[in-house]
Amino acid sequence: MDRLLALSNELAAAVEHAGRAVFAVHARPRLPSTGVHWRSGFVVTANHTVHADEGLTLTRPDGQSVAATLVGRDPGRDLAVLRVEAPDVPVAELGDSAAIHVGHVVLALGAGPRASWGVVSAIGAAGGRSTDGDVFSLDLTLYAGFSGGPLVDAQGHVVGINTSGMSRQMQLAIPGSVVSQSLDELARHGRIAHGYLGVGTQPVRVPESMRQQLGLDQELALIVVDVQAGSPAADRLLIGDVVLSLDGQAITDPLELRRMLRAERIGRRIAARVVRGGQAREVELTVGERPPRSR
Amino acid sequence: MDLAALAATVRRITVELTDTERVVGSGVVWATDRVVTNAHVVARPHVMVRRADGGRLDGRVVARDRHADLALLHVPGLGLSAAAIGPADELHVGSLIVAVGHPFGVRGALTTGIVHAIGSLGRGGRPWIQGDLRLAPGNSGGPLADARGRVVGINAMIVGGLALAIPASEVTRFVRAAG
Repeated sequence: MDRLLALSNELAAAVEHAGRAVFAVHARPRLPSTGVHWRSGFVVTANHTVHADEGLTLTRPDGQSVAATLVGRDPGRDLAVLRVEAPDVPVAELGDSAAIHVGHVVLALGAGPRASWGVVSAIGAAGGRSTDGDVFSLDLTLYAGFSGGPLVDAQGHVVGINTSGMSRQMQLAIPGSVVSQSLDELARHGRIAHGYLGVGTQPVRVPESMRQQLGLDQELALIVVDVQAGSPAADRLLIGDVVLSLDGQAITDPLELRRMLRAERIGRRIAARVVRGGQAREVELTVGERPPRSR
Repeated sequence: MDLAALAATVRRITVELTDTERVVGSGVVWATDRVVTNAHVVARPHVMVRRADGGRLDGRVVARDRHADLALLHVPGLGLSAAAIGPADELHVGSLIVAVGHPFGVRGALTTGIVHAIGSLGRGGRPWIQGDLRLAPGNSGGPLADARGRVVGINAMIVGGLALAIPASEVTRFVRAAG
């Protein structure tokens, strides 16, 4: 068959297939967003579109209204998980988000279904932005209400959740594997745990003299600019301390610090090498859990 | 058919409409010597019609419906074959679509996209073919075509980045009523 016609039919079939698991989410004034039936009874949407914790309703693919309850939020990835009773609505067929490469043709779906198409333009955390893990940058239009909807590959498999709420300029999607992880954790604990020290830091250049004196390779380290009261760092770290490494691993960027404080480190001891008053010293810290924030 | 062949097919049934010097929009060859465009493109009873091969002819507005935003032109000696019309039931959300027009005066420009949705924007509104497709002024009145180059709509508006086209079935009704 004609190649263009075949492509056209494949794209339309992909929309039809993926659209069967797509809900409209009514959780903010006026503009409904989109959600995906990710696992039986669980709908994933974009956290920034879920303003209320209660009184949530969804519109099923067949147009019927159904009530939903909030399971939990993952603000770091702009995901929220809702519980819904809709056993007859198909669950999304998930694709392998690790098989998505830059240049792949993808579709974004909104409830309806409505669709837009484009390509994956980049994979990875965008420069300077603090997110928990990698994201897909998309060269396509996320129309009003598309946040929380599925990113769909050319075969109609869902490979991510789209959001325009994480970046002003860019259209992003959270990869499917990350969504599944987040859903698992929220379904089990109702929240996403993050390791936490309770310090605010900024990158700082390590003076040449200090590098020589301490035999350091790293040119950058983190200077402590804030210590929260009652946090694991309180009384252990001081404003002005320069943190060189944690457990022997050099730290040069606040994002690296955040990545090191994974949930599994909560409750564990960590050795920080810091420079205070021109002298290097070791400080023992116990990783705590980051206090919850609402949205 | 590849995209270049598709573009050539759609270009053959697309004309440029000018008002003295300025490009005002596009039109579609709907029948022998008959061109359809948007009502908002042709404000006066006469318009200059330019074929893809550069030939210029005079067009006369024989029917104009501002509410439907459609106009029918009689262009004696146009000499172009009429567009093939795409069946509405073969068009789905996600189907590949192309538009040809003269955005910002660029002649015969092709844009590609997919069907975003089919239907009204709000409750009770008129039906549109809503395209995830980049249009610009100058595309108005031009064809929206499917992957086979068959016309499925007349491009009429851009709303919130969406391309809105009047479905071909509505155009057919208008042309029939105009006689």
